[in-house]
Amino acid sequence: MIHQRFTVLFCLMLLPVLGFMVPATTHDPGNSITFTAAADDFETLVRPFLQVHCVRCHGAEQTEGGLDLDTLDGDLSLGEEFEQWEMILDVLDSGEMPPENETQPDTAKRERVAQWIGGRLHDLAKQDNGELTSTRIRRLSNLEYQNTIIDLLGIDLNVIDDLPKDPTKPYQFNNTAEFMLLGPEQIDRYLEVARRVMASAIVDPQKPKVHQIRRDWDSGESHPGFAKPLNRNEIPIHNARRGTPGQGMGIKSPPETGEFRIRFQASAVFPNGETELPLRFVMGYDLNINSSTQPIEPVGVVHLKNGTEQPKVYELRGRIENFPVQKGKMHKGKQRPDRLTITPQNIYDDGTLNDENNFLYWPRQPDMPRAVVDWIEFETPISDVWPPAHHTDILFESSLKSEAPREYVRQVLSRFMSRAYRRPATMEEIDRFVNVYELLKPDLETLEATMRETLAMVLVTPQFLLHTQADDDVVGKDYELASRLSYFLWGSMPDQTLLDLAAHGNLNDPAQLAIQVDRLLADSRSRQFFANFTIQWLNLDKLKTVPINRDLFPRFLYYVEAGERAGTEKPYRPTIRDHMIDETVSFIEDLIRRNATVSQVVDSDFAMLNQPLAAHYGVSGVEGNEVRPVSLEGEHHLGGLLTHGSVLIANSTGSAPHPIYRAVWLREAILGEHVKPPPPEVPALSESAGESVDQVLNIKEMLALHRSDTNCRACHARLDPWGIPFERYNAIGNYQPMGPKAGTKIRGFNREQDGTLEGYFEYLQGINTEVIAAKSKLPNGPQVDGMRELKNYLLESRLDDVAENILRRLMTYGLGRELTYRDRMEIDTILAESKPDEFPLKTMVVRICQSPLFRGIRK
Amino acid sequence: MIRKSWYLPRRTLLKGGGIALALPLLNAMNWPLGTSGAGLQKSAENDLPKRMLISYFAYGAYMPDGPSGLPFPKNQSQKAAHHPWSWWPCADAGRLSFNQSSQPFAPLKDDISYLRGLDHAGGWKLGGHSSGDVFATGADMMGAEKTNNISIDQMAAQVHGHKTRYASLVLGTEGGTGSYGSCKTLSHRGPGRPIPSLHRPQEIFNRLFKPYAGKGVDQVRAELKREASILDLVLEHSRAFKRGVGKEDQSKLDEYLESVRALEQRVERTSQWTQQPLPDVETKGLNLEVSHRDPEEYIRCMYDLIYLAFRTDSTRFASLMLESEQSSSSEMWNYATYVLGYRGSTHDIAHKRPADFSGQWDQWRAKQHSYFLQRLRDSPEGDGNMLDRTIVLWGSAHPHASHSTKNYPIQIAGGRHLGFTHGQLHDFIGTRKVPLSNLFVSMLNSVDVPVESFADSTGAMTEIIN
Repeated sequence: MIHQRFTVLFCLMLLPVLGFMVPATTHDPGNSITFTAAADDFETLVRPFLQVHCVRCHGAEQTEGGLDLDTLDGDLSLGEEFEQWEMILDVLDSGEMPPENETQPDTAKRERVAQWIGGRLHDLAKQDNGELTSTRIRRLSNLEYQNTIIDLLGIDLNVIDDLPKDPTKPYQFNNTAEFMLLGPEQIDRYLEVARRVMASAIVDPQKPKVHQIRRDWDSGESHPGFAKPLNRNEIPIHNARRGTPGQGMGIKSPPETGEFRIRFQASAVFPNGETELPLRFVMGYDLNINSSTQPIEPVGVVHLKNGTEQPKVYELRGRIENFPVQKGKMHKGKQRPDRLTITPQNIYDDGTLNDENNFLYWPRQPDMPRAVVDWIEFETPISDVWPPAHHTDILFESSLKSEAPREYVRQVLSRFMSRAYRRPATMEEIDRFVNVYELLKPDLETLEATMRETLAMVLVTPQFLLHTQADDDVVGKDYELASRLSYFLWGSMPDQTLLDLAAHGNLNDPAQLAIQVDRLLADSRSRQFFANFTIQWLNLDKLKTVPINRDLFPRFLYYVEAGERAGTEKPYRPTIRDHMIDETVSFIEDLIRRNATVSQVVDSDFAMLNQPLAAHYGVSGVEGNEVRPVSLEGEHHLGGLLTHGSVLIANSTGSAPHPIYRAVWLREAILGEHVKPPPPEVPALSESAGESVDQVLNIKEMLALHRSDTNCRACHARLDPWGIPFERYNAIGNYQPMGPKAGTKIRGFNREQDGTLEGYFEYLQGINTEVIAAKSKLPNGPQVDGMRELKNYLLESRLDDVAENILRRLMTYGLGRELTYRDRMEIDTILAESKPDEFPLKTMVVRICQSPLFRGIRK
Repeated sequence: MIRKSWYLPRRTLLKGGGIALALPLLNAMNWPLGTSGAGLQKSAENDLPKRMLISYFAYGAYMPDGPSGLPFPKNQSQKAAHHPWSWWPCADAGRLSFNQSSQPFAPLKDDISYLRGLDHAGGWKLGGHSSGDVFATGADMMGAEKTNNISIDQMAAQVHGHKTRYASLVLGTEGGTGSYGSCKTLSHRGPGRPIPSLHRPQEIFNRLFKPYAGKGVDQVRAELKREASILDLVLEHSRAFKRGVGKEDQSKLDEYLESVRALEQRVERTSQWTQQPLPDVETKGLNLEVSHRDPEEYIRCMYDLIYLAFRTDSTRFASLMLESEQSSSSEMWNYATYVLGYRGSTHDIAHKRPADFSGQWDQWRAKQHSYFLQRLRDSPEGDGNMLDRTIVLWGSAHPHASHSTKNYPIQIAGGRHLGFTHGQLHDFIGTRKVPLSNLFVSMLNSVDVPVESFADSTGAMTEIIN
């Protein structure tokens, strides 16, 4: 009965355009939605509501935001209007629309309309559940690919740089199925990389010649007669002297593959009772030329705590494949050998390095700690047993090798393929590769060479390159789940524990899943998830490319003082911006690991800091380079994500805060709203505030100008107010409540006069005389003045939105695809379950993994 | 002191001097050398390569003359002075004269044309930061097509790519494909199939000129033969796998299978090409390790590589995405800072249009492109030079106003022996909308790709064709 009524309505609506919509008339009624009495409601309730409140701006006449709601009909099962309906639902729910200056619908009506839309979306989701809810198949992202190679082969190889870059989009994850294309170029690279890594994994029976080199430095005085002597074995922070270990040690004609070991004896000089000096080893090109572009890779860091009276021997290991070899040049007709240079670096940083007094050259940094290195030894390969374990893991020792070679090959393949495919390989699959092996054998002759090539081919099959998919015949759902879990929380293949659980059918169980999520998150491999997820979610990539205005912030970066590159950022060292990324990633890691509540994302009573970061933010009592939780006081004006330097700088111009960038960030990353980019043909803001010392412009007035322009107003009236409360955090992420008076010309920074720490602060006080305005009326919210009040508002009124956003981000990342309206029910369920405990973050991750959506259960 | 990459190539890059290299190669390809008679010479000229390059810069250019860079409507009496830093070299259609911004092109005045008022209808709806996606394709991504489509370089490569060792060369400064709306490549194989751009000079060089990685030809041939048969097995293996996969995922597997098949074809082709000797190109003088910190070195090195690829007839079709719109996480963001000392991101120039930096930045870009064009022009070939047989499109998908997607800055150079005629600024501003794709039709025709239409074209660009 009801169904009939709907059909009548349906046909009526189609009549006028019947000629153009032939396929629609063949629409199978069995597939369309069984409308309840609500179909009436569209005509009596929803359409009139839209007509009164929406279509004036979003109709045929005027299509603000590209929306034309005039054409919407009550049937959600047709066309591609779900997103529009979902958006309408979102803006009604959040109260964002209609805009404040328009007539507001009464609350009851607003809710009824919202309920109607929500109900229809739910109906629809139920309707086609089972057809389209499963994760779409996708290839491994580059990071997943590299981690999988590392875990599969048991050797630490860097291959990302050899693959075409993954597509990225601001605020979106690069494991999104829709973006992950495969083309011939990609397969080509996979094949190259596969051959290269197999060359490393399977060695020749004969152990290669050991490559060993050692260099000693004595403790005599370097360059005697200098006012501040420096010993020949000492490494200052900058500018190592000729003949000292800081200039590096060269290795001629290094082998192409193999594990290496660097051993060295080291200690530290602590002039002012410091307790720790981080000594980093990098390897690659020779850094002693005036260039900032020599390729190097870090080998590792040791934290020296021992004084010169008790030198200690330390050891670092790595794979030589990962380090850039400097090609030998032709010199007077002779080819010089290729070279690798090991350079130890004193990366001590108390956050004051850029003060004029401590600047760069040794005589001017006498009071800073020095590293002492007495000797360095380099050795490769270092395997005590030959062949090494990563080789015998594949080509295992067995009497079969000689007695039944064919069976041996089959077993090698079976073992390897079952790990590479993250599920047992089928007989058929193994047979095919036995064929490949036999095809190759006559040409390649040895077992090792043939197996290298055969296994390289395994690594370009879709079973390896694409995420594991369950199918009805071969692969159980549990294997798919094991992979989904491990790629979510480790960015890598499942370990033996997960595979065993899958094999016994014990994984697909909520209690077991909770245990596994806990275990995976506790493992150090989860750092891959925290870093990858956080950096993309918060769009932090651009942090490092914001050009910092050196006149305004002379002490923020370490600059090269002299030479061709004077004024550029000091290369080859971890910089404050690296630490800031670390701060943000560690913060999210800490919150999730501790199962903290969502509110701490907005505001927390601690920050993750190390010494340089603490110095930057003005927090005292933090020593050393390790990032750790530090409790905060009100005076620090820190807490939560919103005050992280990474976020504030990435969304500034390098000279001034950028309230629009920051507003977009807050709405996208924290509130989960999608902010549309400016439409074509909109003129740009002509000037920015604080661009130079000559142009002190007041950002608020400029934004007001922006909002008075009819082209910009519609969007910016809802955008800019979110950025204003950030204004007291300057372009380098410091709390700076005072600024220059609008319209005045300020005196520039003078290195001679203002160079000292005191001089710098005096300078700042001299130019920053006015309290910066940070008062703003939030759209559909209260007036807030500054960050504290903004955070309070978010905590009191918007926490559900923040929680939903974070849940959606985690879910999107975990499933590796964009969420659609079909996933709404699942999201709502998890949110409802989490709300009573104030949205604990780890519990939400567990619930995601337990959800039918994640487990691939079709209802 | 870093060796400048552009100091040496002219002298030392090609072993035995520039022209000496080209001749033996041409011999190997069975092109008559043509000194023995007019008829033969004529056919030699016809058989010489016909090449195409598309080069793209982002964020538009400085056009202070009027709204969206179009000149203000003028009164009869007052003739507005042309802005010295406008990207357009002169105010009025007709014979070219050069202002400050375009000064680097002055020595090429008979080899270039400027086309004003052209754009892709397909780019209009894409938004200011995304219209670069369709610069070389003209696809209607937001409308009928949903996805990007084949680019003109690939269109040409499909027809003539088999004549060279590499069908095409796809370069960029950031590498990869990027995503919808933020492409890092100009070239697309077809709907939804972007081709990742290469951006590391050393790697590009090795792929072009050292593809055998030091191995002997016989060994390479044997390996390729083996590889072809293994790929065959892998294909079989994958087809079997595909049968077990759900229907919604079939297309992903097709994507994979197609890729392996394309790879197989390429192995075949590479194998055939082992019959031809590799060009002997020295790295001496090329600074292949140059990084983004040295923008001029880097950009010129990329241009040098294209020049070398053309010179050795390794490929005839190339694209170069000099900048992408969405480069906030790459060093491209800082190019103007490195080059001009601009305090702000390069992209900011497009938004703020500071009078001084905008023009200087455009001029810097012009210098690099002019360097490339002059290298081609200074290399004799047949009875002209290489530029005469290379059609080079240089432009952006935005005018002056950063978010506008109309009236692209477009310069077309070279190809005088392929039918192009130069030396003018042409205006297409007016009621009758001329699509940029008309130029594409003419470009394709000039390299012997007989198409009548491309994307939204309404005909050919007769104005610049003899």
